[in-house]
Amino acid sequence: MCDFSGRLVAWMDRELPDHEAADAERHVRDCSECRRRVDTYKQVSRAFVAHCDAVMEATTRRRPRWVPVLASAAAAAAMLFLVFQPASVKQIPVRPRVADASPASILETAPRPVKTVHRRRGIAPAKTPNANWALPETAIQIAIPVEAMFPPGAVPEGITFIADVSMAADGSVQGLRLQP
Amino acid sequence: MSGDSLPLPLPLARFAADSCEATTLYRELRKPLLRYLVCLGLSADEAQDIVQDAFVSLHRHLASGGSQENIRSWLFRVAHNGARNRQNSYDRRFGKPLDPHLDSIADDATPEQVVLEKEKFRRLGKAILVLTESERECLLLRAGGLRYREIAEVLGIPTSTVSDTVDRAIKKLAEKCNV
Repeated sequence: MCDFSGRLVAWMDRELPDHEAADAERHVRDCSECRRRVDTYKQVSRAFVAHCDAVMEATTRRRPRWVPVLASAAAAAAMLFLVFQPASVKQIPVRPRVADASPASILETAPRPVKTVHRRRGIAPAKTPNANWALPETAIQIAIPVEAMFPPGAVPEGITFIADVSMAADGSVQGLRLQP
Repeated sequence: MSGDSLPLPLPLARFAADSCEATTLYRELRKPLLRYLVCLGLSADEAQDIVQDAFVSLHRHLASGGSQENIRSWLFRVAHNGARNRQNSYDRRFGKPLDPHLDSIADDATPEQVVLEKEKFRRLGKAILVLTESERECLLLRAGGLRYREIAEVLGIPTSTVSDTVDRAIKKLAEKCNV
């Protein structure tokens, strides 16, 4: 093995003083062993870096936004269900609990709009898709604190979702669709 | 042959006491640190947490008058130890093949080029699995733009060992990939 290899490392890291760097460059030009070593290093490391970039890309892209949305759909449904309880529900209870209302009483009660709760600073209130969206009698608008549904950092500041919920006659949630 | 064409970036050569601003550091080092951790096998969330913690530690370190030299290796060392501390996921995932995102192949590539490129990636991915833990760490730190002596600081091993390890790793990958 060429005994220059120790200095080759320093040369590649640009840590040699100018005159020694010039010597090293000349040596690499003339010594086939060192030249091959540097060339191989360049090629492999270029491919390796590209590979790392691709891994990074794959890992950071792998979390489509709708996955946590679906995962939290149950939580959202549970909270919505609470809103349809009888008597006078004035605001979202702090903790979701199983609704104890009978289906019949749910139908008799006209739900009232619920005070929106926003704990996350800077987040815009949830808006209806358009101003003409006629609210049927049972439609309500609630805001679920972002940290109740998503892991920290999963949703950038200022992002809100509109929940489109269809309810069955017995008060259960038939379907839930979240759209940004 | 010019040193300028060396493929591994060394973006922070100018780092010295006068330019140690946490925001500059964050901008320049966040991505390399994340890439290092993700390529070690950590999840994106884990990597984000560790990088965030590392910068909080850096802030404390600088605020308490800590040394401003070799901040780059300092950060990588903190991140590396953070990854080690999550030993479970480190152990579990280290042996898994790196899973690259192949859609990044240029749009104007011909189908043959795409196939070749994918094959190259597949071979390299397989070859990376053959590397030992320290070979992989050394190469990843090198890909993060660290010098040999900085890698030695991060891993707590002599510079000559780093140099030998990188050489061995490069040789293995070159053989497997017919470079």
